Amino acid sequence: MTMFTRFIETVIGDKKQWRDYKARARSLPPPYNEAIDALERYVMYFGPGDDPVPLLLDLLDLFEQSAADGTPIRQIVGDDPVEFAETFLNNYPKGNWIVRERRRLTDAINQAASR
Amino acid sequence: MGKQMTEMLKGVLEGIVLALLAVRPAYGYEITARLRERGFAEIAEGTVYALLVRVEQRGYVDVEKVPSEKGPPRKVYSLNPQGREYLDEFWASWGFLAERLDQLHSQPHDEGDRK
Repeated sequence: MTMFTRFIETVIGDKKQWRDYKARARSLPPPYNEAIDALERYVMYFGPGDDPVPLLLDLLDLFEQSAADGTPIRQIVGDDPVEFAETFLNNYPKGNWIVRERRRLTDAINQAASR
Repeated sequence: MGKQMTEMLKGVLEGIVLALLAVRPAYGYEITARLRERGFAEIAEGTVYALLVRVEQRGYVDVEKVPSEKGPPRKVYSLNPQGREYLDEFWASWGFLAERLDQLHSQPHDEGDRK
């Protein structure tokens, strides 16, 4: 669970930002708070492990606006929540471990291809 | 919307959004609404929002926060010169692809292949 260890370090480093995020997420009315909780969990696993807060704050902006407009969850997220989460995640720098693994793959293939 | 259509749209939606912003500046919900008007019916608001986050990060749009009667201030997006340049490139790529596909489509069937 190194990702979580790193995440906890990040949270300690940026405790205030994180607490602000949590407070705003909690004050969203249902079902918007439920939706952002589910997305938050996904982001913790697959998002930028180093600093998920900017991403979560952007998501929060979307859900706060949607709550104010009364936009249905399905209309925000679409038919495929995973697809939506991935499109969103692609906007942010990847976590260290993903970047490292991509580099490892590229190097290994470069080496194999040069033989 | 069919799966195939969704997949194809994914590659061009960014260009479509920039093209809509070239007409006039807009906030997220307006863009989704304009997409609907133009027949792109089932695009989730979250997907449009994810794209707006992306074009903002890439520096293709300028963003202005405008207070709204309900909810948080709205971000109004407008295409900047860099975005305009990118949009020109998008139309050039689109023209190229459309032409090639058209050629392929209108090509007479080669009976030799169909034994």
